[in-house]
Amino acid sequence: MVDVKEQNDIFGLIGRKLKRKIECFVIGGSAMMYYNVKENTKDIDIVFLNEKDRTEIENILRKEDFTERNTRFLYHRKKNVPILLQKYDMRFDLFLRDIICFWLSDEMIERVEKVYEFGDLIVKIVSLEDIVLLKCATERAGDRADVKEIIEKVGIKWDVITEEVVRQTKDREIFSVFLYDFLMELKEDLKVDIPKEVIKKVRTIGEREMVKRLGK
Amino acid sequence: MKKCIDLAEELKGLHTLETIQKELGIKRNTTIKTVSLLRKEGLVETIGGGRKKRWYRINTVPFRKYGNSGLYDMLNKYSRIKLWKPYEHRIFGRKMSVEEAIVRAVVSGRIRTVLVSLDLFNHVKNWSRLYKYAKEYDVRRKIGALYDVSRTKLKVRRMDERIRSKLLKSKDKSKYIIKPFKSKDFLEIQKRWNVCVPLNKADLEVYDEW
Repeated sequence: MVDVKEQNDIFGLIGRKLKRKIECFVIGGSAMMYYNVKENTKDIDIVFLNEKDRTEIENILRKEDFTERNTRFLYHRKKNVPILLQKYDMRFDLFLRDIICFWLSDEMIERVEKVYEFGDLIVKIVSLEDIVLLKCATERAGDRADVKEIIEKVGIKWDVITEEVVRQTKDREIFSVFLYDFLMELKEDLKVDIPKEVIKKVRTIGEREMVKRLGK
Repeated sequence: MKKCIDLAEELKGLHTLETIQKELGIKRNTTIKTVSLLRKEGLVETIGGGRKKRWYRINTVPFRKYGNSGLYDMLNKYSRIKLWKPYEHRIFGRKMSVEEAIVRAVVSGRIRTVLVSLDLFNHVKNWSRLYKYAKEYDVRRKIGALYDVSRTKLKVRRMDERIRSKLLKSKDKSKYIIKPFKSKDFLEIQKRWNVCVPLNKADLEVYDEW
């Protein structure tokens, strides 16, 4: 497990080793720590916008004795999987714009709420709404509990979620169907208070998109 | 702590002392004590004070700030005009100087950020450092032009002559601070520096309020 101090230390180390400015986006539990919703995380999830930046960070981590792990156990039969690098109990998941069935849209980039500079490493923390959406995409153990924490402790803007679902569903996988399942599980199993209208809206978007695609 | 979180949940949002008092139905002194308790747990952030009305932002998760002040904190600290932060900017492992804040405000490409940054010229202590950052971000002539603009309205320290001549001799790739804006008023400054200043005289009138 990694806490916020350890995370800042490793970002600082990477920032000192870089020779040019590199931007990345922190998602998942690592981002939640900066919102004080979580104390520690299993892995540090980072998204890059281009391969060159990812390779540069990967090389630095490899020089720091991080070794590659197989993605098969964590992301079984999923596409757009990250590069997993691990050292002791610290693990980095390095994504490239696409995160499983989700992608980092321009609107998500605009919604970034925190920008932290560690030397030449510029870390952008995605908004809480986007953390929820990304948790639905990765669907790992503990993701539902994390989303429950966010909704109950801080609260989120549901209209941002529904707008982004429409964007994500366009010409890609029917993300709204995954989100609908995810929200229903949260509501029924974890008794999270999710507005009925939101679930209805996500369901409608999913149904409409499925009809459209089956008709093609 | 549990009691405080329950209280914070009840009061979540932006408040004045009076609204808290009204919401909880308690005396003024008890309200001050309650806010103090919440602050100890890190659940309150205070905005304003002094001549302005004091606001309390109450949250259910503790407010924690990591790293050192970033661009917007620096601008709000040193400028009389305050800026709404589009995002929280923090710097780790070092501290941002006033000189760096001016240069980065110019690079930001936001009109209000540029306007607010004019007040920081009076806090510049190290003109060589300002030149160093201006060179790094390729905005040397722009910084020179904005310095001259700030001197037309604000009380600003005199710039080191050596730095001024270095800035005048330099070449920037683009002549626009914010494309495609140029001023109708500061024609002489624009000509001297070969830079398009995005501000008019009327824009600087916000400083008259102070």
